[in-house]
Amino acid sequence: MTNNGTRWALLGVTAATAVGVGRAAARRRRRHQPERQDGWYVVRRGVTVDRSRDDVIGFWTDRERLDRALAGWATLEQLDERRWRCVARDRAGGETQWRAEITVEEAGTLRWRVEDGPMPQLGRIELAEAPQGRGTEIRAELRYRSGPVRRLAGLVGGDEPDLALRDALRRVKALIECGQVVDTRNDPSGRSPGQEKATDKVRETLMTGGRA
Amino acid sequence: MRALCWEGVGKLVVRDVPEPRIRAEGDIIVRVRASSVCGSDLHLINGYLPAMREGDILGHEFMGEVVETGPGVRRHRVGDRVVVGSVVACGGCWYCRTEQYSLCDNSNPQPVFTEKLWGHSPAGILGYSHAAGGYAGSHAEYIRVPFGDLGAFAVPDGVPDDSVVFASDAMPTGWMAADFCGLTGGEVVAVWGAGGVGQMAARSAQVLGAERVIMIDRFPDRLATATERIGVETINYAETDVLEALRELTAGRGPDACIEAVGMESHDVGPTYAYDRVKQAARLQTDRPTSVRQAIMACRKGGTVSIVGVYAGLVDKFPLGAAMNKALVLRMGQMHAQRYIPMLLDRLATGEIDPGYLATHPLSLEQGAQGYELFEKKEDGCLRSVLHP
Repeated sequence: MTNNGTRWALLGVTAATAVGVGRAAARRRRRHQPERQDGWYVVRRGVTVDRSRDDVIGFWTDRERLDRALAGWATLEQLDERRWRCVARDRAGGETQWRAEITVEEAGTLRWRVEDGPMPQLGRIELAEAPQGRGTEIRAELRYRSGPVRRLAGLVGGDEPDLALRDALRRVKALIECGQVVDTRNDPSGRSPGQEKATDKVRETLMTGGRA
Repeated sequence: MRALCWEGVGKLVVRDVPEPRIRAEGDIIVRVRASSVCGSDLHLINGYLPAMREGDILGHEFMGEVVETGPGVRRHRVGDRVVVGSVVACGGCWYCRTEQYSLCDNSNPQPVFTEKLWGHSPAGILGYSHAAGGYAGSHAEYIRVPFGDLGAFAVPDGVPDDSVVFASDAMPTGWMAADFCGLTGGEVVAVWGAGGVGQMAARSAQVLGAERVIMIDRFPDRLATATERIGVETINYAETDVLEALRELTAGRGPDACIEAVGMESHDVGPTYAYDRVKQAARLQTDRPTSVRQAIMACRKGGTVSIVGVYAGLVDKFPLGAAMNKALVLRMGQMHAQRYIPMLLDRLATGEIDPGYLATHPLSLEQGAQGYELFEKKEDGCLRSVLHP
């Protein structure tokens, strides 16, 4: 009887714990899921750049400076008044290309739409003055079509539009503020080529995503 | 070139590695003439900061000679004798503009680890693990210094290498610790840890107006050196109850400011310390906050606790109630090298602050592992081993 009572009590406690943990995990997962609207994932990211709005716009519109800044990372080719072709190189040496239609709505606001690329995307960028003279807030909203499995695979593999957006904002901030994106991949070390390759994987993980 | 590499927990080996190259317009390459061990390296060597990779080159406190400059470098030329701040700062972000260089937004190229751990990523640091950007360190013949115009400073003539090397880190860290205390003149300041940073903090507090400085440690030779070199009072915590002694020395008030220059591997005696060691060994807490607890408990009501010892993660039994109810000011952080170094070089040149005596063990690069062992075990009166590659 006592044994049975103990078993039922243990079962009850285990079940209650499992339900509690499950609910907490689900709640946490929901908190970390991006918003979904009409089949689109919607993410909003922002970064503050310690420069005036004109300086930030100047970075985008000074083609020579932009090309210099993007060298080694991506190339941009203007196809017509609105359409651009972008070829991005990842750290492993692979290339991804897409065509985007970019519309400037007013000074400091632009939209883009990826016509053909790895994933349909719509995006919007707004520039706003940051408080206390801290420069300019770049606020980006990205909508992309994906599914839960594809998104999970992208997050694990570091190939996901949200991660790419956060990377891009961080890069843009660094390029505007200090003219370079710092890289320590080629610093000397006592590693063998195999160890260096494994360390580069770790570096990529520590470089990808995070806060914008 | 030869370099001292981390090869696993507690294991350091000198290896042949490629020489660094200019990677960006603002880079400079420095031939290292003196590179000091630092207490914060011990946390990396002993695996308390889990972001080291086999083959990483250690060392962040150094000086040397410029041998190559990037095309964008304006302030330095080949042949300049320079001391380099350990913190890397871009000079272009809001934090750099407001002279909070150790919080630079752009100098840590691998910010995700610290963003997850701390909410935001502070600046990169040379030779300080992949959490701080994965930069190669200074225990090598040559080192690449990014943003060289901002991070490297010409050394005044006549100041020896083994003295100016401490302007790279120990001096600015000690100065910032004293600066945090908001001294206006006549205060009593207590300093936990009589190592290089603690002694520089004590001297800085005197320069900034403290009337009395009391140092706390357990090594009689370190305490004796501090008394002899900078004229402080001392408490040996292995023999004396620190809180009682500080109350007595201040007629019941407690020190006006308490500086913690020990960090996450702090030591004590008694059962609480044993408990902390077990928890840290079991990874139930990452840091042992023994001296921070004491500093908070000892500090006078409304006083300041200044923390420059390095902490990485979570601590147990943090006396937040004491800090809150005594209305303490808590200030802490990695030092803003670029803000303090020029001013400290002036003070070094006039002899107002002279850290040369900290370099008790000048050694070759090949003796690096031995240098760290002497330093960690505090053997042979070692305050700092300084490597000469």
